[in-house]
Amino acid sequence: MDALDLGVRNFLYGRFVETGRSPSVEELGTELSLSRKDAEATLRRLHDAHALVLERDALELRMLNPFSCVPSAWRIHAAGRTWYSNCAWDSFGICAALHTDGRIEASCADCGEPLIVEVQGRRPVPDDYLFHVLVPASHWWDDIVFT
Amino acid sequence: MNLFRSEEHLQRWLADRKPGATESVGRLCELAHAWYQHRLAPGWRPRSLEQNQAILDRLGLTGDFWRLG
Repeated sequence: MDALDLGVRNFLYGRFVETGRSPSVEELGTELSLSRKDAEATLRRLHDAHALVLERDALELRMLNPFSCVPSAWRIHAAGRTWYSNCAWDSFGICAALHTDGRIEASCADCGEPLIVEVQGRRPVPDDYLFHVLVPASHWWDDIVFT
Repeated sequence: MNLFRSEEHLQRWLADRKPGATESVGRLCELAHAWYQHRLAPGWRPRSLEQNQAILDRLGLTGDFWRLG
């Protein structure tokens, strides 16, 4: 990953955490003095490098893992804000990335009933729920949205 | 990557699906911390596949299922 790609990646994460929303391609170009063509090409390279995830049918951010850039069924209250994540792993990842405790609001994939987990000092409360990964690791990026 | 209330709920959900890997949320919390703790650091650099695999290995997430590539 070269300096340009790294700079764009860091700008996107920084802006998302600062504002709670993902910048548009236009904002990216304006803020970093990039042509639209260069901004788009950089986003595509970062997507291909798994440094972020773009929407399938648009040049818009879907994921800045562990954050979801779009509303999801995984809500995390941490650092004074409500965030969305992409899955169980990323839900805990938001607390880890922000270096803070938090509250995860999810649901049981079987019955749909709410599951609330508090993260306190890097430990989950309660700690008796189960985490299941269906897709083998070598195939996670075949379809990261499904994974 | 889902959460389940109990083993009973997990088994009911799996039904005809091929089971993957099941871990406690305690282990998940450790994994998430190891994986994401530096994600917002100013000096962040992408990890290699080997570095990512080492994180899984250190947490005992080994075997074919957890092989990244």
